[in-house]
Amino acid sequence: MSGAVNVEVLSKTYRVPEREAGFSAAARSFFRRKYRDVDAVKEVSFAIGRGEIVGFLGPNGAGKTTTLKMLSGLLHPTGGRADVLGFTPWDRKPEFLRSITLVMGQRNRLSWDIPAADSFLLNQAIYRIDDAQYKRTLAELDELLELAPIIKKPVRNLSLGERMKCELAAALLHGPQVLFLDEPTIGLDITAQARIRSFLREYNRRTGATILLTSHYMADVTALCERIIMIHHGQLKYDGGITDLSRRIAPVKLIGVALRDGAEADLTRYGELSAEENENGRRMIQVPAEDVASVTARLLSELPVQDLNIEDVPIEAVIEKAFNEGEPAQAEARPRAEARQETGA
Amino acid sequence: MHYLKIFSTLVKINVEQELAYRADTVINISQLIIWTAWDLLALSIIFTNTASLGGWGAGELVALLGVFRLVNALMAALIWPNTERFNTAMRDGTLDYTLLLPAPALLLVSFTRIAIWRVVDFVIAITLIVIGVTMSAGGLTVAGVLSFALLLSSGMVIFYSLWIAMLAFTFWFIKFDNNVTILQALLEAGRYPATVYPPWLRMIVTFIVPIALATTVPVQALRGELQWWQVLMFLGVAVVVVAVSLRIWRAGLRKYSGASA
Repeated sequence: MSGAVNVEVLSKTYRVPEREAGFSAAARSFFRRKYRDVDAVKEVSFAIGRGEIVGFLGPNGAGKTTTLKMLSGLLHPTGGRADVLGFTPWDRKPEFLRSITLVMGQRNRLSWDIPAADSFLLNQAIYRIDDAQYKRTLAELDELLELAPIIKKPVRNLSLGERMKCELAAALLHGPQVLFLDEPTIGLDITAQARIRSFLREYNRRTGATILLTSHYMADVTALCERIIMIHHGQLKYDGGITDLSRRIAPVKLIGVALRDGAEADLTRYGELSAEENENGRRMIQVPAEDVASVTARLLSELPVQDLNIEDVPIEAVIEKAFNEGEPAQAEARPRAEARQETGA
Repeated sequence: MHYLKIFSTLVKINVEQELAYRADTVINISQLIIWTAWDLLALSIIFTNTASLGGWGAGELVALLGVFRLVNALMAALIWPNTERFNTAMRDGTLDYTLLLPAPALLLVSFTRIAIWRVVDFVIAITLIVIGVTMSAGGLTVAGVLSFALLLSSGMVIFYSLWIAMLAFTFWFIKFDNNVTILQALLEAGRYPATVYPPWLRMIVTFIVPIALATTVPVQALRGELQWWQVLMFLGVAVVVVAVSLRIWRAGLRKYSGASA
């Protein structure tokens, strides 16, 4: 298989102790513990081609991190198979570990007390990177992330954005071919987020690395990913192009209307109406995509329209809608082969 | 070779860090010297009242104090700092990064932090051992000194293994911050010769939680008290302890990744 990541009916069930609140329940559970099975990931299947950047989305607790941990080899699944670059991740073969990386935005890889440069040296020894290669990679990362001024300072003296740059550099020194990124921009300000984003895009372009990325910032996803995989309650809910998602989940368009000064009209006759005027003094009418032309024509002929425009629903809103809908996974999930083809992998 | 490179890089990083905090180092070393003086004072008080303790003379007890200090130095230089780090990494999830590195997790977990200034502790320990041995000179044999060295090394390995087992238990309990406190308490039991304890307790500290093997037994070998088969038996116990600890560690790792569930 030439793909970078293949996942087949992968499942993970956690056994968690369960008890009711209160002292007596606590005392009872000390002696006889009751367990409950929690399905974190349920029979998820997908495939990612080499060089793809895929957004991995889902609300908190959807099973994203558990999936990433299985794919990087930290967790054994309770069922199913996974193949990353030809390796079974949880065998944790050194050659496998040398070709992947995992970045968790909320957890620091670098030691707090020592400069990042020292941690880099340790990584060089651990990953057996020869001196020439090490210098070359570091120079390249320095060019993209402007590391030089910050890697000599103890990590605890760095700002969050500077630290994330160092974290990324440490995670990429060994030149991994597959990157699992779990919330790499969390907590960063807008500028720093944009820097990380453009870095990832450029890194992918230069090295052809495959990236599977989770983020709660939709801007990360829309800027980097053409394809998204969405899971909810551990089940695959959508796998496909980001533009297709709107069509499937929210096949509607927004018509923005501004009437001439003083004119009043009941716009609810034309479609679902947004509560407020937007910053341009327009009201937004939501109409089914296939009705856009006819509704627009009616608006123009029946009302004193000063200005009108047609927009797509913002992807953030579409994704939020997808999360909130409790539809079964099967309806949205498509066979892997088809998904691969469409994204041109 | 690979492991050696990793280890030497860790040492280098720790030395650099030590150099960055000069004042700290000076204070730490002065404290250490005061504590050693205190220990020696305690011993001299005991020996103004009695000529022997559990059949051991002053010189032998100084040697035992040295051995005890040596294990203690291991404790302070490696075990405490790395355990603290391990427990934190376990709780906040950063241990995941260590487990994804293409190097043995055990190497990284046990040698990332090295309290370099504790080298002084090792020097003091060795000095005490040499003084003790010289004080009780006369009865020394080449075989005795050799088996002493052998058992001393295996004692250090035993102590290290017990620590690894303690760390590994954390994989089952998640919160087990006392993992090293227990070890320290056991070590305190090794400060005096195992022969001062009743036989049942002596059995426990020799075979079940073999702390005495790290402290008393080497000095017994030095005194020429041990037969060759006893030396072999104690080395055999060391091998078993290492093997069992490594198994517990691996089982712990499997538990952590959900492979054993």
